Amino acid sequence: MTASRTPLLAINDLHVTVEGKQILNGLTLQVGAGEVHAIMGPNGSGKSTLAHVLAGRPGYEITAGTVSYEGRDLLALAPEERARQGVFLGFQYPVEIPGVNNVYLLKAAVNAVRKQRGLPEVDAFEFLGLVREKMRLMHIEDSFLSRGVNEGFSGGEKKRNEVLQMLVLEPRLAILDETDSGLDIDALKVVAAGVNSLRSPERACVLVTHYQRLLEYVVPDIVHVLVRGRIAKRGDRTLALELERRGYDWVTGEAA
Amino acid sequence: MGTPLTARILEEHANTFRALPPAGAMEARRRTAIEALTASGLPTSRDENWKYANLRPLERLRFIPAPAAQPVTATDLPAAIPGFARYVFVDGAFAPALSAALNATAAAVTALAAAPDAGRAPAGVPAQTSAAGASADERFALLNEAFATDGAAIRVAAHHEPVRLELLFVASADALAGASYPRVELQLDSQAQLLLIERHVSAGPHASFVNSAVTVDVGFGARLHHYRLQELAPGAIVFDTLCAVVGRDACYRLYGISTGAQSARSTLAVRLAGERADLTLAVVALGDRQQVQDTYARVEHAAPRARTEQVFRGISAGRARVAFNGKIVVGKDAPGTDSRQSLRGLLAGPQAELDVRPQLEIYTDEVRCSHGATAGKLDENMLFYLLSRGLEPEVAQRLLKWAFLEDVVAKIEVAELRRQIEERLALQVHEPLARAESA
Repeated sequence: MTASRTPLLAINDLHVTVEGKQILNGLTLQVGAGEVHAIMGPNGSGKSTLAHVLAGRPGYEITAGTVSYEGRDLLALAPEERARQGVFLGFQYPVEIPGVNNVYLLKAAVNAVRKQRGLPEVDAFEFLGLVREKMRLMHIEDSFLSRGVNEGFSGGEKKRNEVLQMLVLEPRLAILDETDSGLDIDALKVVAAGVNSLRSPERACVLVTHYQRLLEYVVPDIVHVLVRGRIAKRGDRTLALELERRGYDWVTGEAA
Repeated sequence: MGTPLTARILEEHANTFRALPPAGAMEARRRTAIEALTASGLPTSRDENWKYANLRPLERLRFIPAPAAQPVTATDLPAAIPGFARYVFVDGAFAPALSAALNATAAAVTALAAAPDAGRAPAGVPAQTSAAGASADERFALLNEAFATDGAAIRVAAHHEPVRLELLFVASADALAGASYPRVELQLDSQAQLLLIERHVSAGPHASFVNSAVTVDVGFGARLHHYRLQELAPGAIVFDTLCAVVGRDACYRLYGISTGAQSARSTLAVRLAGERADLTLAVVALGDRQQVQDTYARVEHAAPRARTEQVFRGISAGRARVAFNGKIVVGKDAPGTDSRQSLRGLLAGPQAELDVRPQLEIYTDEVRCSHGATAGKLDENMLFYLLSRGLEPEVAQRLLKWAFLEDVVAKIEVAELRRQIEERLALQVHEPLARAESA
């Protein structure tokens, strides 16, 4: 496969401003198929901005740099086109949408991808079976099926729902924005099991996280430390442990 | 007020009823009403609570009751709701052939034309069925009372099962031929229970003029669920006035779904007269093209510890104007009042107009009143969330419009009615039904 030579995601010298303020400042990063990358960094270092820019959220101005996905210009694609090409963003703060049913959204999302690939819509009955199977994996109750998107969910339930959506959509590139924050240890293990179940040589995952705790359960191939909008340090998973021990001051001081 | 409009109303009234024999109590009320109307005149756009209503059509409308027009058949009517007796009125007149009468001893439904004294409050109960003492905002009820020749008088007694009743008002005449005056006089005795569907539809494409008046008296401990659907043809002009009194420990749930007509104005006046009266007043209005959907809802707390929940969800698209003016007045004899207002409007087009106005007047202490009002565009965070899952922008927008309305519609407990409402709303926001999967 050529995947090992052409990275799935290649970010080159990315500069991004938000309301005139420089957030990403020459970020360069490559993620190969089959890899799990962790992006760590102190608050305000630009982690979430990176996740949102990759998903195509409006309000971010890209002033320089390129992002290619599967060898194509990712930034030229609308958010929904990115999703249909296999890019998935797990939100840090998933939004509640009362009145739009969870399963309806899941099915609409899957059918959007299938339409892109020239496939017919999913069979409703089979699809429900698949959703139920993934729900069991994510420890999500049956009542989920009849509820609105994230409606009245606790913080942990919302995060598990993000991972459930990811499992059903089977993206090629998953970007999880602080999916571990606010989870207790049991929920963290469930989320980690979900992420691990999707690991494969064709897929890649970018975990944006503040703490190394999640990385005990989802072991990354590469850890990047983001400081003031650029990668200040990279290493294997022992870097995350070292960060935990020495604190972010260690790298922020070094990068200054 | 000797305006040309009131002069014309008076003249049409005289021409209409001069020939008819006197008809007892109804005749007397008709005379009182026309006198009161002549003195007060109809509201104008200069009146405080009328500036969003479309009053211009009044200049060219005819006020005489519409003569019998095309015969209406059962196929012109919406599907029946299982378990509900149906009473059909065509251009305000009872149509027994289209109706399926109630098979319950706990309730009596009488056509006003057949029994002109029916529906009148028994001695000792304040009469709510006359609009003559109505406030300035309820003057269209006077117009109805002056011209209506028929209507439904309903009296419900206590029973362990709620009575289920649908009133279907069909407008078939063109406004140039005459007006349709749907009329309901409803009384729930103490501990009575009623599920009432009041539905206004058109038979055929005629641009009808409809002026409906509804009076509601919910007695001690009684429970009323009242679903009001305005689904008239696109050219129709409708003025609607509802006056309700809710007694001690009584519960009134009022849902209004207004999607039809060219121009619709609804005036809802509810007085919580008894201690612990409990009111839910929820209105959904959809405007598109050049439609006007205007609602004025006034809730008066006149007794201690009563509760109000006032909800509005409106979408204005095209060049429509959608307005909701929700007023809650807490009188000096209403300590312990608990009122909530959640009024939300959605602007779905650059040329659409939306006016959402919460008003609160409090004349006592110890009350809990909260209100939230928003008028804006679709939530950007929700929209991006759906796009990030691969949905087309048009699909995502339709889905969010749907969700916005579903917030209220999902609370309608009559399943078949809810299905019909959802079907119609889905059609209007061009969204295939987004119902929950059967789990």
